[in-house]
Amino acid sequence: MDIIPQIIVNSLIAGSIYSLVTLGFNLVYGATRFVNMVPGVLAAIGGYTVYYLFNQLGSNLYLSIIAGILIAGIFGYLSDHLVFRKLRRNKASNLVSFVASLGIFTMLQAVISILFTSQFQSILDVTQSPTTYEIFGATFTWIQGLIFITAIVAFIGLALVLKKTGFGKAVRAVSDDEEVSKIIGINTDKIISWIFFIGSCLAGLSGIFIGFDTGIRPTMGLVIVLEGATASIIGGIGNIYGGFLGAFLLGFVENFGILKISGEWKPAISFGLLVLFLLFKPEGIMNKKK
Amino acid sequence: MSKTVKIIIWLIVIVVVIAIGVSLSKKGGDTGTGPIKIGFVGPLTGDAAGIGENLRAAVEVARDEINTAGGVKGRQIEVIFEDGQCDPKAAVNAGNKLVSVDKVVAIVGGLCSSETLAITPIAEQAKIPLVSPASTNPKITEAGDYIFRFVPSDLFQGKFAAEYLLKTMKKDKVGILYCLSDWCTGIESVFKQNFVDGGGKIVAEEGYQQDSRDLRSQITKVKAANPDIVYFLGYSDASIVGLKQLQELGVKVPIFGGDAWDDVKIAEGAGKAANDAMFSVTAAKEYAQSFVDAMKAKNADKELNTYSGRGYDILKVFADIMGRVGVDSTKIKVELYKVKDYQGIADTYTLDEKGDLSSANYSIKKFQNGKIILVQ
Repeated sequence: MDIIPQIIVNSLIAGSIYSLVTLGFNLVYGATRFVNMVPGVLAAIGGYTVYYLFNQLGSNLYLSIIAGILIAGIFGYLSDHLVFRKLRRNKASNLVSFVASLGIFTMLQAVISILFTSQFQSILDVTQSPTTYEIFGATFTWIQGLIFITAIVAFIGLALVLKKTGFGKAVRAVSDDEEVSKIIGINTDKIISWIFFIGSCLAGLSGIFIGFDTGIRPTMGLVIVLEGATASIIGGIGNIYGGFLGAFLLGFVENFGILKISGEWKPAISFGLLVLFLLFKPEGIMNKKK
Repeated sequence: MSKTVKIIIWLIVIVVVIAIGVSLSKKGGDTGTGPIKIGFVGPLTGDAAGIGENLRAAVEVARDEINTAGGVKGRQIEVIFEDGQCDPKAAVNAGNKLVSVDKVVAIVGGLCSSETLAITPIAEQAKIPLVSPASTNPKITEAGDYIFRFVPSDLFQGKFAAEYLLKTMKKDKVGILYCLSDWCTGIESVFKQNFVDGGGKIVAEEGYQQDSRDLRSQITKVKAANPDIVYFLGYSDASIVGLKQLQELGVKVPIFGGDAWDDVKIAEGAGKAANDAMFSVTAAKEYAQSFVDAMKAKNADKELNTYSGRGYDILKVFADIMGRVGVDSTKIKVELYKVKDYQGIADTYTLDEKGDLSSANYSIKKFQNGKIILVQ
């Protein structure tokens, strides 16, 4: 049996999940310039919202998903409104903002553990076998197909919004230089709040998908942020196009990397790739050298 | 007074205070009247939290029974529960706290082999007897004089699994998936050696990180090697994901696992994907109804596994020994080596000169529609 098609599919699935996280991560990083841990816990919040509404209350699956995305978005918005906006006004350093985000991350993670226990939970009905599809001998489930399509749609949608709309122009202006944007009359606080909301919605969506594909637990956020940050550094931190490429590059390298050697090397390969980029191309694939 | 004299006087004061502090803290370990402190290390969160919570409940049941019956020589037993997270780093923190801050007289735990191997140096150095109810890694045998376990080493389980696959199931081409933790790698190496010596062939051997949730490429490689059977070693969370991904990727051959699968969460979490997957597990006696009822009262009655009873037995043995020789750690240790034919609720225990169980019996269980069923 030829395993290459299956490895390609595996890489695409991993890349799609990374890309959703990275899109939100880069969008927020571009505007605020600090490494924000909050999206990790927002992914968990998205997943747990769906778990609560769909599994425990028996609501409609699609409504639960929308609620999960929006709640993650609202939490992200609140994190900016209550914490980061004040830090920006006080001209707090990036380190302070990072530590604050770590604080929010830890606090919300603890709250989820208290509400839902720290056990691993599956969202979808496990008494049914998932529908699987096959192309060129490679199998994938419908949810994995959906993850891939959503990743592409989210990327194209976001790219169009940034390119074509006035809002997108404002976002790009804020990402270029917040001070100058303020001077020319852009309400930067409002724009950044929206960026937080959209980025957080994407984080929530990735958490929901991870929940469908494997399962959720309160501490899932750290791994998600690490993967998102890795993909984002490889692609070019703060650059959503680069982040998208970086996510898929990471997915392909770590899955193809173990084609000939044993699977235990997988994390070593992905972090090795990160180290190589940091050493030889620290600005990432898409960013220009400064 | 010159400055030098002042400094010298202050230094003397500091040294005296520290000396008094040290001597007090040594005596403070056990005052002889308060409750006797016993430490517990096990995964209350993390990859094996399901088994850990179950074990905690069983230890609480034993503690309550001992205390209701009047305690040990009139003293109550207090168990201090610390979360080892099935992770060496967390276990070291837990062990240090129990030994240095709480000054426990003995420790029940850890559960995962990586927890136990991480805290054995701490217990050994502090001369505090440690008995694990569940850690099966062969290295624990040599971990020290104060280290014991009420569960057999994987030297037995790895051999048993290899023989069961070869002789009973008649499978001689195995693909191995194993997590990178002390339990998985310990049992994997024993299994591999015995399987190859028995005439079998290892067609694929793929490791994965204990907390990984994407085993697809490893599974793809195992599948491509066309094994007759997949030997899949993992803790609960990764196993749920792995069993689902084995099904998604169309692996049709039988799946066989190790004793960490004795957790009903896997059957529930993986559902249909886990159906008919079998595993070997240390044989346990059928639990008495009183124990099952007591566990039910602690909300931990779901499919009691073999470890919970062993944890219960360890605390009972501690209480029995302390009732005879007091709370001196060295005396407790000496008595532990003398445990012979002790009739516990999970097993009959006889410890050898290394602090290991001298023999082992295994049963085969399998998952079926969200439940665990005994096969033989």
